[in-house]
Amino acid sequence: MNFFSKIWRVAAYEWFDAIRSRRAIVILLLYLVTAVLGMNGSISMLEKIETQLVETLQLPESKHTGIVSTVIWKSKPFQRMVKSLTRDELVLKDITGKHPVELIYAWFAFLCAPLLVVLVAANRIPEELGSGAVRYQIFRTSRACWSLGKYMGMALMVACAIGIGALGAYVVAAFRLWMGGDSPNFFLGLLQWGFRAWIYSLAFLGLVMGLSHLTHSPNKATVLGILALVACSVLHVLASIHRYTGRLSEVWVYVERLIPSAYKGELWRFSVPPLATASASLVALGFCYLLLGYAFFRRRDV
Amino acid sequence: MNVYAIQTTDLVKAYGARLALDRFSLAVPTGCILGLVGPNGAGKTTWMMTVAGFLRPKAGKIDLLGEGPFDADVHAGRLTILPQDSDLPLASRPLELLTHFGRLQGLRKQEARQSARKLLETLHLGDRLASPIRTLSHGMRKRVMLAQCFLGYPEVVLLDEPLSGLDPREAAHARTFIASRKLKQTIVISSHDLHDIEQVCTHVAYIEKGRVARFGALRELTRKDTLLRFFLTGDPTDLEALRQACPGSELQYDETRRILACSFDGNAQPPEEINAKLLPAILAQTGLLSIERGDSLEKAYLRDRS
Repeated sequence: MNFFSKIWRVAAYEWFDAIRSRRAIVILLLYLVTAVLGMNGSISMLEKIETQLVETLQLPESKHTGIVSTVIWKSKPFQRMVKSLTRDELVLKDITGKHPVELIYAWFAFLCAPLLVVLVAANRIPEELGSGAVRYQIFRTSRACWSLGKYMGMALMVACAIGIGALGAYVVAAFRLWMGGDSPNFFLGLLQWGFRAWIYSLAFLGLVMGLSHLTHSPNKATVLGILALVACSVLHVLASIHRYTGRLSEVWVYVERLIPSAYKGELWRFSVPPLATASASLVALGFCYLLLGYAFFRRRDV
Repeated sequence: MNVYAIQTTDLVKAYGARLALDRFSLAVPTGCILGLVGPNGAGKTTWMMTVAGFLRPKAGKIDLLGEGPFDADVHAGRLTILPQDSDLPLASRPLELLTHFGRLQGLRKQEARQSARKLLETLHLGDRLASPIRTLSHGMRKRVMLAQCFLGYPEVVLLDEPLSGLDPREAAHARTFIASRKLKQTIVISSHDLHDIEQVCTHVAYIEKGRVARFGALRELTRKDTLLRFFLTGDPTDLEALRQACPGSELQYDETRRILACSFDGNAQPPEEINAKLLPAILAQTGLLSIERGDSLEKAYLRDRS
């Protein structure tokens, strides 16, 4: 059995073992409920906004939620407003014309991905280190295969959660829009955004699982994961402030490249080069973080 | 085939300032069943964990199956271990878990599943193949742990307290199971139960303060081939006549317990020959309750280490 087959074997069992655990079922349900309620609330809010816009801008009235938004997308003042929000003309250009429901889901998926990763994956490695269960595997396969297998297994698990969330969001959105007389086909769109959120989550997964190699306690690993997310957010804010000004502006540019959220903007793009570059960077970043944790684990007593 | 399955030389492992292994040297002959005996904290578990690659030694040399220290790429499937105080994944089921382990060792799916099923059934877990580990009793979990060690017929098996927590019937069954592997696999057992060691092992090592205090064949340590004990019903009337019946041996009589101990050179005269000479002489003087060959391991150990 070669290196990759062993990784796949560990990953498949890890996913299989994780998905039937009570913790995983609870987290999947919570994520699904959040996606469904989030989508439901967003559609209600969208309806209200559209009603207000119709009144304010004296646009033709429509029963179809999202249709007015599509009209609005085409208006120059609205585009200027979104441009000021996104601060990126290219992103604005790419997402213009997309159904609002798709964008709402995308925003939700990107927002929740890091937290989902912490809740799903932070405890898996410390649980086995703490209970000693790791010892039944690392004389059958190398520590590298074990670590990578765990990472891949959790990546599958996160993909399942995002997929289930996308399905739930689609069902609710389709039902609400169908009640309003509309039947837009955006399931593939949601799946596509889900896939992007998954790619985004891989970097966080590497970070969280890399850190989880450092402790035997699942609770400590979860806290470490949350702290890492907070640190990433703070650094990202600081980097976006200081990268244009100050003596260390160049340093901040490089620091920003080490933070997964720095690549989020490119994941909103529909042009292949930035999307592919950001995806590759996020995957590489995830592996680098995991490798740092593994470097510690490789030499430690278990 | 290597003469020694495991060779460790001057192994040093420290936990902080405390030395768990202090220049620990031990060579385990291929095909033997070796029992590690010693007080708590002597270094038995540390040695096993170091050989299996779980712990990194500070110094010393390990040679496993003649191919250097443990390396998963080289030794996976050839060495297995039942580690002490290590839980199995609680949500897993015995059959699927052992099948997974078998596949990680390189067995094909069907082969791994059959091997896992057979081992679990042999250890009386046939009715709990699909029960989550968390629902199994301590003894049942221990048997699953024992079963995983024998998947795919590894060359070296390390068992740390394999029979603790088993009920008497299962412990006896597991002893028979382990003993049936004699000469086919090299097995190292660490246990505080010297009766278990005596029943199963061919060789014994006394471990103390991180070192091997004594190593040898069980028969040699317990003097099975050099000592006979006769439990008498009354005192012998003529001890000198008994000595003359068995020249070349040394007789000692314990008056309070009425035990006649006969020490002899096992290479010159086998125990059967000594018995054939001495027994008629004893029966001519007094009655006989029973005869024992050598000491129990417990007695030999306590005598040796006192």
